[in-house]
Amino acid sequence: MTAALPLPLQTAWLIPLYGFAGVLLSLPWAAGWIRRTGPRPAAYLNLLATLVAFLHGSLAMRAVFEHGPASLSFEWLQVADLHLAIQFDLSPTNLVALELVTAMSLIAQFFGLGYLDKEWSLARFYALVGFFEGAMSGVVISGSLFLSYFLLEMLTLSTYLLVGFWYAQPLVVTAARDAFLTKRVGDVLLLMGVVALSAWAGAMDFPSLYHWSAEAAASGSLSPLAATLLGLGLIAGPTGKCAQVPMHLWLDEAMEGPNPASILRNSVVVTCGALVLIKVMPILQYSPVATTVLLLIGAVSAIGGSLVAIAQVDIKRAFSYTTTAYLGLVFIAIALQLPSIALLLLFAHAVAKALLMMSVGSVIATTNCQDITELGGLGGRMPATTSAYLVAGAGLTGLVPLGCFWSFGLAAEVLVQQAPLFALLLLATNALMALNLTRVFRQVFLGAAQPKTRRAPEVNWQMALPMVALGVVVLLTPQLLSQLDPVPGIASFSPAVAVAVLGSSAAGVLVGALLPIHKSYARSILQPVRVLQDFLAYDFYTDRFYRATIVALVASLARLSDWFDRIVVNGFVNQLGRLSLVSADGLKLSVSGQSQSYVLTAVVAIVLLLASLSWVFG
Amino acid sequence: MLSALLLIPLLGALGLVLWPGNPSPEAVRRAALALLLLQLAWSVKVLLTFQADFGGMQLNEALGWVGSLGLDYSLGVDGLSMPLLLVNAGLTLVSAWASTAVVQRPRLYFALLLVISGAVNGAFLAQNLLLFFLFYELELIPLWLLIAVWGGANRAYAATKFLIFTAVSGILILGAFLGIALVTGQADFSLTPVLTQQLGMGTQLLLMGALLVGFGIKIPLFPFHTWLPDAHTEASTPVSVLLAGVLLKLGTYGLLRFCLGLFPEAWAQLAPALALWAAVSVLFGSLAAIAQRDMKRMVAYSSVGHMGYVLLAAAAASPVSLLGAVFQMVSHGLISALLFLLVGVVYRVTGTRDLEVLRGLLNPERGLPLTGALMIAGVMASAGLPGMAGFISEFLVFRGSLTAYPLPTLLCMVGSGLTAVYFLLLVNRAFFGRLAVAPPQPEANAAGQRLAPVDVRLAVVPWQDQLPALALTGLVIVIGLVPGGLAHLGEATTTAMAQLPALVAAMAAGPASGGALS
Repeated sequence: MTAALPLPLQTAWLIPLYGFAGVLLSLPWAAGWIRRTGPRPAAYLNLLATLVAFLHGSLAMRAVFEHGPASLSFEWLQVADLHLAIQFDLSPTNLVALELVTAMSLIAQFFGLGYLDKEWSLARFYALVGFFEGAMSGVVISGSLFLSYFLLEMLTLSTYLLVGFWYAQPLVVTAARDAFLTKRVGDVLLLMGVVALSAWAGAMDFPSLYHWSAEAAASGSLSPLAATLLGLGLIAGPTGKCAQVPMHLWLDEAMEGPNPASILRNSVVVTCGALVLIKVMPILQYSPVATTVLLLIGAVSAIGGSLVAIAQVDIKRAFSYTTTAYLGLVFIAIALQLPSIALLLLFAHAVAKALLMMSVGSVIATTNCQDITELGGLGGRMPATTSAYLVAGAGLTGLVPLGCFWSFGLAAEVLVQQAPLFALLLLATNALMALNLTRVFRQVFLGAAQPKTRRAPEVNWQMALPMVALGVVVLLTPQLLSQLDPVPGIASFSPAVAVAVLGSSAAGVLVGALLPIHKSYARSILQPVRVLQDFLAYDFYTDRFYRATIVALVASLARLSDWFDRIVVNGFVNQLGRLSLVSADGLKLSVSGQSQSYVLTAVVAIVLLLASLSWVFG
Repeated sequence: MLSALLLIPLLGALGLVLWPGNPSPEAVRRAALALLLLQLAWSVKVLLTFQADFGGMQLNEALGWVGSLGLDYSLGVDGLSMPLLLVNAGLTLVSAWASTAVVQRPRLYFALLLVISGAVNGAFLAQNLLLFFLFYELELIPLWLLIAVWGGANRAYAATKFLIFTAVSGILILGAFLGIALVTGQADFSLTPVLTQQLGMGTQLLLMGALLVGFGIKIPLFPFHTWLPDAHTEASTPVSVLLAGVLLKLGTYGLLRFCLGLFPEAWAQLAPALALWAAVSVLFGSLAAIAQRDMKRMVAYSSVGHMGYVLLAAAAASPVSLLGAVFQMVSHGLISALLFLLVGVVYRVTGTRDLEVLRGLLNPERGLPLTGALMIAGVMASAGLPGMAGFISEFLVFRGSLTAYPLPTLLCMVGSGLTAVYFLLLVNRAFFGRLAVAPPQPEANAAGQRLAPVDVRLAVVPWQDQLPALALTGLVIVIGLVPGGLAHLGEATTTAMAQLPALVAAMAAGPASGGALS
């Protein structure tokens, strides 16, 4: 079968390997075997590997658009009734996602050349990004749940290592820990789902799983409880990956990592998680509880994330929470069985959010400052960065007909009929995003120059070039989206919806523009406002909640186990040892020296022994 | 062929002891390494002649020994013991390689190491219950000496505890073996399953219970594990490698070979309770590991957790889960050996294993960057990250056990999540952060002076010392990425073992058909 496939498709399994090859190629520099050249060659090699992956992906995409979708399958492990295969599903959607991943990785790595100019362990960074990219490329074209799980976990590992890149800083240590553990909780729950599906359904490729779940639902062979638990397990993985409530706290902490990785995390990593969710959705649809939970997660994330974002003063965190919010909208779309709309949203968001994070990264690189109350007046000083911010903002809200306008319009059109409440939620998220963007724009780019921004120059060309290039891509998103979704076309929504989307964005911008902003009173002195502000600024005190509940529970269980181990188990053994010594001492003293007593003891012992033997065998 | 696996280490040990004159420790170590390399090469030779498609015992060797006692010298190898032989040969080599700090009585030390390796080979190969018992006991005294002579400060307590626990384990096992012979009246001590016709279920459960406790001590399972953390804490690094990597496998091997293999019916009766026991053991080990401050104790408790998976897999006794048990034995052997090696490096360089003291060891110039990188790899492998041996083992175990025992399996998966918690704590505390260790200054401490953390420059670890850890990491990744080879090695045997209960039930149902089968 594979022989008939065009070469780029036959060899499509190589595409994730390019990223992993980048890891091996950077190893000599990362490990310090080659010091004479400095770490730069590792970066160039990784860029080259990513470029090859991108080009190979484009060839494969062209082949798929010409010849139709294809799939690849390689036997991996076959024992008894268990067949595990490495399967790739080369559908147009997956390949578009693959191109998105490799292109973003290329852009972020290029940006990193400038951003991490002075970083001494540049090679290690690029090795990790290569690993990251390899895992993501694999996830998006994966054709089996097993492979998806396999690679999602690798993604978890590389997130941990990338967030922990500057491991000597205390905040980074906790951030890396939280990123790993939060995702790991999701992953373990997902693993439970994967193992259960493997045991029940047998084959792990998505078509077989869909077939099995349809049959199980039709025949009722799966109990409702099992179906619900399975559904919840499958949801948990993407929830962690997409930083959705209640597993969202890692994403903003992860902003402690280097910015080029944040670009990827906020755009394509969350996209990977959502794509996995889209792929498992046909299995979930038979569990009403799972669907409801998905809707709930999406709704809470969308509104909660937007509100929390508005209260942030850290420029990176202000936008990382909006990622949670937008992915919440994607979750809603997926839960309502609107995968094509979810894909459009994901694409529009990924491109624009990456640009926004690059602009933010430029501000941070130039000013060495992330606190928006200490920034200001950068507009005239950093034209490229400012325009990137504006283009990204336009791409993320429905004010101008760029990516999100069209996808929001389409989504709202469908939602108004299916679930009007969620249409409102979408508009609210859009409005809050517009508000947030305007607020940050005023603080950072407008106003008087601050001490930290007075002498800020524009960024170097390695950062400016990818930023401008991505800006052009964002401007072209409507064109790309219309190719992605030719039927019914991205403009197929009513003018009323368009007006609503525009109106909500305008309202957000207006409020953001009129909002009183005071640099030195960023935290209000009015008690009620202050309480609310803190509540949002500290992310609803989620981390404290977790510390008081789950973390405390595990810690006290651990202490209990340790106590039990030392006092009860070990104590018992030690007491037994002491008892035998004491009784031996006692026996030593009881020796009388009279032969009669010895004979008596021996006789009694023999009688007892025989009696017990006859009792056992009698 | 198989006898060479006993002769090489045992005669080698004899040779080392009889080495005339006063050889330098390095010379003795080199000689031991040469012998162990020979043993490894021979094990590989056995592997090459081994026919993986055949599930039964092969390469059999038999010799009448003390016929009147039923003690025969008969050896054989199958898909269960073959991977373990390789693990034993490899890890003893690693252990000897890491024994660079032995300056006292090197001849005795390396001879004991070789005796252990030979005895373990014998236990894995023995086809006679009494012969197994002999080898099982033979490994005990050398290990006791290794802890008691070359151990840490509190070694007398730990070694005695180890000795008493393992001796009790041996007594229970011997008692059960003798009991089988006594009750069935067949004193040939062969590895044939006991049937219900021969023996009532009550007696079977009693005898198997004795075996279970005996091997449960060795594995170790909660609540018989309390000797293990102490033994590990006091043992030197190479001995810990051997103890965790090889000797614990004797317990799980015995569980599969003798509990499941001799009493398939009784095993099936007890299996639900055993699965729960496995879950308790996994959760207890993992939770207790979280509370540890000593890196070595933490790794030791992780063994309690991870060996519980093998009990779960054995309880489920499906073809996939039993293969998972083999995988888990091999991968736990490699991963825990790796972790103990790395902890040993940290201890040697910094003088402490206290997680409250160690900080920032990843520092690239003054710290232990390579050890840190390998530690992250080992920790992730242990936590079951895909792409490494731990994942596929756990996946097979869970996949094979879920349908039979859903709740215990899910609980064990929670334990797998907890592994990530404690090992992440270890990496975060010891390797992340700023490198500022309070250097060991016993005099200052005795004076009650509080030492402020100071920036230190740690000694560079020579690459030879990192070689075993690198090799083990590579092996863990290879097994994780290409599990097919190991699966092929074990599959025929584990499938046959999984069918044993059904086979025995069929034999019990109709003696006529049973006769045809045998």
